[in-house]
Amino acid sequence: MTNTQPYISIRHLQKGYKIGGEAISIFDGLDLDIPNGDFVAIMGPSGSGKSTLLNMLAGIDRPDAGELRIGNSYLNQMGEGARASWRAHNMGIVFQFYNLLPMLNAAENVELPLLLKPLSAKDRRDRVRKVLDLVGLSGRERQYPSMMSGGQQQRVGIARAIVSDPGLLLCDEPTGDLDRKSADDVLQMLRFLNQELGKTIIMVTHDPEAAKYAKRVLHLDKGNFVEEKRAA
Amino acid sequence: MTFSKLARKNMWRKPLRTVLLIICVAVAFLIYGLTASFVAGSQGSSAASEDVLGVTSVAGQSQPLPIAYLGRITSQPDVETVGYMTRLRGFVETENNVVSVSATDPARLMAVTGPQLGLTPVLIEALGGARDRLLVGRALANANGWIVGQRITVTSFQIAKQDGIRNWRFEIAGIFEGESTSTDTYFAIAHYDYVNASRALAQDTVSAFILRPRAGVSPSELAVQIDALFANSATPTRTQSEKQFLEAFMRQYADVGMIVNLVTGAAFVTLLMIIINTMIFAVRERRFEIGVLKTLGVSRRRIMMLVLAETLLVFIVGGGVGLALTKLATVLAGPAIGLTLTPMIIAKASAIIFILGIATGALPAFNAMRTPIVSAFRTR
Ligand SMILES: Nc1ncnc2c1ncn2[C@@H]1O[C@H](COP(=O)(O)OP(=O)(O)O)[C@@H](O)[C@H]1O
Ligand SMILES: [Mg+2]
Repeated sequence: MTNTQPYISIRHLQKGYKIGGEAISIFDGLDLDIPNGDFVAIMGPSGSGKSTLLNMLAGIDRPDAGELRIGNSYLNQMGEGARASWRAHNMGIVFQFYNLLPMLNAAENVELPLLLKPLSAKDRRDRVRKVLDLVGLSGRERQYPSMMSGGQQQRVGIARAIVSDPGLLLCDEPTGDLDRKSADDVLQMLRFLNQELGKTIIMVTHDPEAAKYAKRVLHLDKGNFVEEKRAA
Repeated sequence: MTFSKLARKNMWRKPLRTVLLIICVAVAFLIYGLTASFVAGSQGSSAASEDVLGVTSVAGQSQPLPIAYLGRITSQPDVETVGYMTRLRGFVETENNVVSVSATDPARLMAVTGPQLGLTPVLIEALGGARDRLLVGRALANANGWIVGQRITVTSFQIAKQDGIRNWRFEIAGIFEGESTSTDTYFAIAHYDYVNASRALAQDTVSAFILRPRAGVSPSELAVQIDALFANSATPTRTQSEKQFLEAFMRQYADVGMIVNLVTGAAFVTLLMIIINTMIFAVRERRFEIGVLKTLGVSRRRIMMLVLAETLLVFIVGGGVGLALTKLATVLAGPAIGLTLTPMIIAKASAIIFILGIATGALPAFNAMRTPIVSAFRTR
């Protein structure tokens, strides 16, 4: 990878849906660059396409046209299998509703992504312990999601997202379901991951307080981005 | 954690549902195992001879015939040799360990059906040593773990001694192997004289004569001749080939077997539908988790395997329990009932368990594989 290229680049991206036979366009020629190590907050009215964009960045959904490159991978050209395996190795995802598997305890939930890697059971355990420690949950390895608070569950979700040490973190409303205090804890953690561990983070949020933790804020409006001016 | 542990955990998410499914499978394979064991255990007729004729009372197998008939049967020109036997049915040690002893003239038995039973001159000589000696068939000896020289007591169901006691003591003098593995060797051979001299009732009677026609004589014509001899006597006879006799006896079972096969088949189909239906439900309930796994980068193939493994697990546990219960049933029923759980049955059942497990899981697994994940970020 050459250093002059931005880490993520989106060119002339088009995406629409058909609802009841009527085609609606969400993006029509979107362009976006995100450098390595960035922490971007994406804001915008409900239904403006924030989740759709994250889905495409995650390789879960496909653009109708245009180019979507992350690192050296052109996601718009890859098949579903290739995108799944790419996802397993290159990104972590944090969901609004944590999306933990209820029948697995915290450690097992965090271990899941590691099952896709050629690691010994011991290596997996060590890594799980390390990230649970990092998110402040050591000692709670054996707790099930149903026994945890929302803030704790989201920290398990973050631990799961970073356990395979991906360069990119996608977060869709990670604090949307949390009280102020838990939200601040989670956001502190994201900032730490960005500043200390160099992860690139793209976070969708409604919350202007949450957006303050990001390096820059993009407002999505009518299918295009407007960058927020900030006092330096 | 491994993927197979994940499948196991998934399986136990709804314990009641899973347990009911396992019971379904277990019951089906118990039925299957019992049917197959029964059929396998009643396959004696193929080894039976066309050439050996048996003469019993028309009134039924358990009605005695006078031994005095021996002379008249022997004097028939078409008869080569004749033997006779009194059947002493009883049990050894526990009442469901049923044993059948044929009290006979050893030399005559040897002449009529020696090769078929695997009787050798050495065995006949060993039996001759004392009146209470006994030759035991291989199947019976193995089932009881008996060895040569051991003393056993058969408690008869009907035949009492003159002192009123129904215990008959024998010493095992040898073990006969049968001509082939399909020969029925689940019985013992004793001296007629010993049983006849001691018994309280029905002295000088036999349960059956067995005879071998001269070469070139039609067994069925000879049978008619013999029955004609006694047609007007107090106890008329019925003469059949050993094979006819066994087949008539088996046919009752064969029809039962067919009905049981139909029932098993119906049970299987019903079971399959119940399980497919339940699994489709279970997988639909898990759309959310499958979506999560897919977002984490788990491949479609892995997801499919995960769902397949789960059904397979239900079938393997259920089928295993069913076969174990079958084994238990064959042990409890005792060998005399004739339930034989052969390695072949186990192999066939295992294959069916495996195939049904895969077949049942295929549709839900395919559905799971196709579950789209675009919705992963939107809803749960
Ligand atoms: N699978 C889909 N089928 C049809 N329409 C969809 C689908 N996904 C999203 N949309 C539509 O696309 C628009 C953008 O949705 P979304 O990306 O979820 O917005 P946001 O996350 O910004 O609230 C909405 O109008 C939504 O109804
Ligand atoms: Mg959204």
